[in-house]
Amino acid sequence: MRHQLVIVSFLLLLAAGYVLLKQAQTPELTSLTPVLTGQVEYCLTCHADLPEISQSHPVETFGCVICHGGEALAVEADLAHSTMRGGANPSELSVVEASCGGEQCHSGTPQMYRDHIQRVNTSLQATYAGAIAQVRYAFGAQPDLIARMSINAVDGLVAFNPNQEVSPSLQAFGQNCLSCHLSAQLLIGSEYNRWGGCSACHSPAPREDGTSVHKLTTAVAYSQCNTCHNRGNYSLADVQFHPRTDTPTDRLHDYYQPIAEFTRCEWTLDCVDCHTRQEAMGDGHLYNNKKEIQYIRCYTCHGTLDSLPLTYTIKDEDELALRLAFVNPVIDLNVGDTILMTEKGEPLWYIRLMAEKVEAVPTYELFTKATGQSLGFKPVFGSTCQQQPDQQEARYCHECHAIER
Amino acid sequence: MLKGSLAGSALIGLGVLGRFLGFQSEANPPGQYDLGPSTDYPQGSRIQVPEAQVIVIHSDLGYIALSLVCPHLGCEVQVTGDGFACPCHGSRFQADGSLHNGPASSSLTSLRIEESAEGHLILYHQ
Repeated sequence: MRHQLVIVSFLLLLAAGYVLLKQAQTPELTSLTPVLTGQVEYCLTCHADLPEISQSHPVETFGCVICHGGEALAVEADLAHSTMRGGANPSELSVVEASCGGEQCHSGTPQMYRDHIQRVNTSLQATYAGAIAQVRYAFGAQPDLIARMSINAVDGLVAFNPNQEVSPSLQAFGQNCLSCHLSAQLLIGSEYNRWGGCSACHSPAPREDGTSVHKLTTAVAYSQCNTCHNRGNYSLADVQFHPRTDTPTDRLHDYYQPIAEFTRCEWTLDCVDCHTRQEAMGDGHLYNNKKEIQYIRCYTCHGTLDSLPLTYTIKDEDELALRLAFVNPVIDLNVGDTILMTEKGEPLWYIRLMAEKVEAVPTYELFTKATGQSLGFKPVFGSTCQQQPDQQEARYCHECHAIER
Repeated sequence: MLKGSLAGSALIGLGVLGRFLGFQSEANPPGQYDLGPSTDYPQGSRIQVPEAQVIVIHSDLGYIALSLVCPHLGCEVQVTGDGFACPCHGSRFQADGSLHNGPASSSLTSLRIEESAEGHLILYHQ
């Protein structure tokens, strides 16, 4: 009996020592009970120094776990992070529905403009379907240029598997040329440095030391797009990616690789100032190639000799244009303002008809999405431009307006 | 001497273990909240109580408590010149809490409020 008492007492003392040791090693807990979940989480014990990720996702409301996953009550790093979604990036497309989805968040209906995840998953940026179809057609693996395969199976497209291709070139294509889509394994080099999924465009690229910037934004600068675009070319001759060899030192030369003509507005503005959300993120439908989804032309903003650009007057507080202007407030937009609109009905909410200039030849004011810079411009209509109304591709405008580099 | 050491060890061990096992991560928020004397809320006033995330409106109809938690995703709405606005996603509400524009799809929640026998306003969250 006495022997047993000694053992029990010793074990209790040992347990007490263990508990006290663990408590000594545990930092002072910082708890948070987000409004959305009502469940306590201790992530801020270690991550209190992280900045708010965006105005739309305050930590007091969302907390961390609803987006990132992880063990809410753990304070030991490995355990706390063990069930995180997508590692440091919950917007990876393989987990994005669990992280960013929900009918009140980013996978709601098109009518509520919240179908972002469905649109992105079917976009060419995610499927890479156009490039896959064209290369398979070029090497005789399919009879036409219709998209049949995607990086991941989606909406009737089967997953592209290079190992099942007969042509060695297509196998090499699978190995060497799938580094641009939203789920891609990135090429090595800081110029290619970006996240995957939504954060490929909406979060700053990780720093060169591997640390990241905790931020989501719709003010997407051209440099973000350039982590994929304008970095070089894929060659079908050797089925390799060839990085651009010049080392541009200014925006004029950095913006586009030196193989094409372009106009001043094509480099003064950022990519997202011309290319719409449907072009960049998809519109929910599958397309065979980039040309099918990319529909913005010079005339979208500038009109033609015989017509002004399309405009639209905002009538209701619930309209998409006002939502977008709220998220990226580079413009003070209100009901009654007249903005430009694309032929597909997308509001160019950051380009407004200047009220004091409502006359025969109007003037428009564009606020750049990334910097908020205000730029005025006039339409082609009423000008001395020689542009023919039936010649509307950019190459015709470049004949007179291409900039020297 | 040995008995005393054993008893002491056991008590220390049990005490620490009891504290460890009895750990409660977070107390539940109170179901009711004492907003203070009703005389602090004179007729015609609209007084915010930040710690309760509520605004108390004393109108001709009596006391009305509007939750300042946006019914869309739970951000705290801000009082503006003509009502309320959600800083997160842009929903706006009229001065009486009714929905002006989305993305919220409903008005601000009206919470139960009563005057106690001691003359204090009591807010009920549930």
